[in-house]
Amino acid sequence: MHHNENPYRPIEAKVLEVRTETPTIKTIKFKPVEPISFETGQFVEITIPGLGEAPFTPSSRPDVKDTMEVTVMKVGKVTEKVHELKVGDTIGVRGPFGNGYPMDHFKGKELLIVGGGCGLAPIRSLVYEVFSRLGDFKKVFYRGGCKTPSEFLYKKEIDGWIAKKDINIKLTVDKGEEGWDGNVGVVTTILDGIDMDFSQGIAVVCGPPIAMKFSTQKLLSLGFKDENIYLSMEKNMSCGIGKCGHCRIGTYYACKDGPVFTYDKIKNFHEIWA
Amino acid sequence: MQFISKANLFKLLDALRADYDVYVPVKKGKQRFYKKYERPTDDITIGEVRAFEPLKAFFSFAREVVAKGFKPDVPGADRKPFAIVGVKACDLKGFKIQDHVFKNHDYKDPFYIKNREQNLIITSDCTLAIETCFCTALGIKPHPQENFDINLSETRGGFVAEAGSEKGRALTKKHASLFQEARSGIDEDVAERRDRVVKEVENNVKENDVPHQDLYKGMVEKKFESDIWEDEAKACVECGACNTICPTCHCFLLYDQKDKGKMERLRMWDSCMIKDFARVAGGANPRAKLQQRLRNRFEKKFDYFPNVAETYACTGCGRCISACPAKIDIRKVLKRLVGNAS
Ligand code: SF4
Ligand code: SF4
Ligand code: FES
Repeated sequence: MHHNENPYRPIEAKVLEVRTETPTIKTIKFKPVEPISFETGQFVEITIPGLGEAPFTPSSRPDVKDTMEVTVMKVGKVTEKVHELKVGDTIGVRGPFGNGYPMDHFKGKELLIVGGGCGLAPIRSLVYEVFSRLGDFKKVFYRGGCKTPSEFLYKKEIDGWIAKKDINIKLTVDKGEEGWDGNVGVVTTILDGIDMDFSQGIAVVCGPPIAMKFSTQKLLSLGFKDENIYLSMEKNMSCGIGKCGHCRIGTYYACKDGPVFTYDKIKNFHEIWA
Repeated sequence: MQFISKANLFKLLDALRADYDVYVPVKKGKQRFYKKYERPTDDITIGEVRAFEPLKAFFSFAREVVAKGFKPDVPGADRKPFAIVGVKACDLKGFKIQDHVFKNHDYKDPFYIKNREQNLIITSDCTLAIETCFCTALGIKPHPQENFDINLSETRGGFVAEAGSEKGRALTKKHASLFQEARSGIDEDVAERRDRVVKEVENNVKENDVPHQDLYKGMVEKKFESDIWEDEAKACVECGACNTICPTCHCFLLYDQKDKGKMERLRMWDSCMIKDFARVAGGANPRAKLQQRLRNRFEKKFDYFPNVAETYACTGCGRCISACPAKIDIRKVLKRLVGNAS
């Protein structure tokens, strides 16, 4: 964690840029007064001064230390205010919290990234991390799903990733639209026919609980080992430091023991996909 | 063995007021409440049983400011520490949980740690048990044996005083003139009374058929799909009293407010019985049903904590039994969980 003698106080940050991704999703770029570095997969708490906090996984490159980006869907009182932010506004940030993806442990392996339900925010940060250490991996696959083509986040960036060909990318949508000639179906429908040794491969799964559940089941049936499936668990994070009790999952607090867990660690707990 | 007369105990409390906000249990009707000590009064009740409020109220407050704006300092650092008098054995067990959460692992909580370091804990033996007491089922004897600064064992005319920490020893030394060598035979008096109260609690446990903690292992998991939960949760009104009154419950809510343009962050005790406790902003709620939340409360106490802190998060104090407007009785739930029926 960032050095902070009072773990509840936010660090001041200035909004540098606001980008509208879709009608309900915006990306906010900000600069904290003290640089905050994070590992991909960790999360931060963003404060709207006087209103409250909400947890987000940064969507920006972990190797950029002086600014950070979060991609925010309008779903609650804090995120509504996040959507009203303008360049120059003051916000607060606490963190980063928890454990990110153990990138060094992935060295020399084949990597499959699965993102269901447009949930690309954390994956964007992971993809940039992968690009910055491409030589580390034998192969990298990315399989992403979304409701409709127009709801895909970072469309232009993804086109750029596809063009680079360093990562084998395939996308799917639940419902096609004009101009979409890709796959139609949930993300599990594009997990077949991937040319990797599943029994040795690493899978990273992100997205809403239901998509994670079905993706995990599919990965297991393909032959992935429990301990090689990395899940990013969405729980009700508040304090971020294992005190407030809101994020418990079995014998863990997701905020400090996760949010990234391997499937073997949590598979016997109740309520994991809810 | 040291003895302090009742009059001298009050002198000691008077002296403590220089460095501490001193709190004593006072009896009102049938209950005992903590009250700030100013002078000796007749309602001050050092012995008897636990106070209404849980001890945690002096360590992580029901509501407190935890950050002011973006300032890195810890609010409230200059507040006078508390001296809490008449703390009971069951209350001390609460520290096993609270210390684990706020002090002993991974991240430290500066608010709790300050209180833990600076507060003075003057415990006392229980001199009776009330109907809701079942501490012995949790392996606790109703007289403090460790984790106090000074313990008082009530006896004729005063108390046998035992220092249990450096802080306690320094105090008894500093105020040596208030203490005297205990008369011979006093330890037998104390031992006899202790035995009597242990028996009173054991009788309670027997009468209510409360299972001993040796039988708790795996009980929640075994009964996870049982209809005990739905059945017990039927009358619950989601008030959260069982959580806030519990000496081991530690969960809190962080919230922000703006006061005259200044931003403050506060925390307030929270309750896992309340519907949105685990709900995420996106709307998913792993415990949307009341029976799931009741089950979660027991899972946390009797499954999570023994796993992470090697202790059940229950002290046998019986506060949740007295506090619950729906008359949900933890003793009965424990009995059903341990029993063979589903
Ligand atoms: S539960 Fe035990 S220790 Fe607590 S007040 Fe009752 S008799 Fe005393
Ligand atoms: S005290 Fe009783 S009614 Fe209130 S939340 Fe707890 S179990 Fe439900
Ligand atoms: S967010 Fe508070 S305990 Fe995990």
